[in-house]
Amino acid sequence: MSGDSIGMADNKQNGKYLTAGILAAIAIGLFLFTLYNGLK
Amino acid sequence: MSDAAHAHDDHGHHAHPTGIMRWLTTTNHKDIGSLYLWFSLIMLFTAGSMALLIRSELFEPGMQLMHPDFFNQLTTMHGLIMIFGVIMPAFTGFANWQVPLMIGAPDMAFPRMNNWSFWLLPVAGIMLLGSFWLPGGAVAGGWTMYPPLFIQGGVSYDLTILAVHIMGLSSIMGSINIITTILNMRAPGLTLMKMPMFVWTWLITAYLLIATMPVLAGAVTMLLTDRNFGTHFFNAAGGGDPVMFQHIFWFFGHPEVYILILPAFGIVSQIIPTFSRKPLFGYASMVYATASIAILSFTVWAHHMFAVGMPVAAQLFFMFSTMLIAVPTGVKVFNWVATMWKGSLTFETPMLFAIAFVCLFTIGGFSGLVLAMAPVDIQLQDTYYVVAHFHYVLVSGALFSIFAGIYYWLPKWTGHMYNETLGKTHFWLSVIGMNIVFFPMHFLGLAGMPRRIPDYALQFTEFNQIATVGAFIFGFSQLIFLVLVLKTIKGGAKASDQVWEGAQGLEWTVPSPAPYHTFETAPVVK
Repeated sequence: MSGDSIGMADNKQNGKYLTAGILAAIAIGLFLFTLYNGLK
Repeated sequence: MSDAAHAHDDHGHHAHPTGIMRWLTTTNHKDIGSLYLWFSLIMLFTAGSMALLIRSELFEPGMQLMHPDFFNQLTTMHGLIMIFGVIMPAFTGFANWQVPLMIGAPDMAFPRMNNWSFWLLPVAGIMLLGSFWLPGGAVAGGWTMYPPLFIQGGVSYDLTILAVHIMGLSSIMGSINIITTILNMRAPGLTLMKMPMFVWTWLITAYLLIATMPVLAGAVTMLLTDRNFGTHFFNAAGGGDPVMFQHIFWFFGHPEVYILILPAFGIVSQIIPTFSRKPLFGYASMVYATASIAILSFTVWAHHMFAVGMPVAAQLFFMFSTMLIAVPTGVKVFNWVATMWKGSLTFETPMLFAIAFVCLFTIGGFSGLVLAMAPVDIQLQDTYYVVAHFHYVLVSGALFSIFAGIYYWLPKWTGHMYNETLGKTHFWLSVIGMNIVFFPMHFLGLAGMPRRIPDYALQFTEFNQIATVGAFIFGFSQLIFLVLVLKTIKGGAKASDQVWEGAQGLEWTVPSPAPYHTFETAPVVK
């Protein structure tokens, strides 16, 4: 594995918290939106 | 030092616990994959036993073995457990074992969360099954949890709602893990359009889960507050709307059908090329078809509720959008057949199950098209035709693909070849038994036999008796599968690294059995 590809893998893995955070926010948002629609 | 190596250090083998603590605390994707698969197998036998009790009661008209309320509890729990406790965990087990191996990652992106995702499931399973022993018994309102029945039941209904919340949380955490792993941890050079189809189908399934499980959670939260906190979301007496629950539930429920079948498409798309010794025909079209099915699945939910009374324009919209799904599904079936066309075919057990999947799932798809027609559906709503349809999709579709996948990857997991004679015996008894159970149900439904009713009119007797005999053949043949798996784990002929002559992909480059830690140094994909 070359130095460049190790660097690429590092960057991608550091982005895992961002990916997971966005997905969790979408899930929580959809849950709240469903409840909001029930209240309308 | 790469993060892959750090990840290895974080949950490596410095002080490796043994015995029960190994399984309780494990963060290894292979261990967790095995846990999911064993949990699924135990639940298969549990919910399968319920099915045999149901079929025993239905062997003859009149009430033979049980109180009608217990029959309702069995049908409800059979559905809930088969969906949330068998099919979904089994596919998650495959994802845990295979996704890191197929993309060249050392483990899942969040190994500790992976452990949590699994261990929430037995808690939910115990809550569901334990409710049989509560006053009033288990839930009996159907797996769809419709109000007003679900607002009126006893404490087991609250427990079921809580269990659904827990299973939903487990699914969402699992999906976040799978998407993050696929997007962030692929080996260098493994671009999205080079990923194996199984990885693609799970990526799309995980998005479906993230988009639908919170909606289900919202629906059951409203049920919970209606039951316990005096709200009237779904209570008509208080100005609420029970039909709104059906809309919300099926907005989750129809994509759920594809959550249960897209990973099956992925498994079959791995197996057919291997045993045809040809690359998958139309890879890109397979990817786009999978994505199309997922997107369209959000536009069809009300075909489950044609009988509630909706404007003709709405009926037409949901009828045509449902029929539209047949197009990308047809692309897939065409591509599987085209992959086999002029291939150098051999018929080992995984291939037999995959071919049975293509033939029998297509029958389930066709009966789905019949039900998609609103005027026909109004006649067939809540009859055994619907039961026949979704069992062709979920038994000969989802379950057969799970069997196919286990036969395909078991040598890689255990290092041993399974007994091919036992495998083929299991296949033939399953495929014959399954058709004897479910094919006559088409006739029963067309003749008007209602589902979820423990008694029936005399003219339905023969087909019910045939179905019950088939159910016992199918049910008991699964014991052969259990014996085969246990024998393969214990010993057998040594499996080579590639296992199958035509197998392609990163998972076949590691030794058999796959070592506890793989791809600590990421492979480079050309």
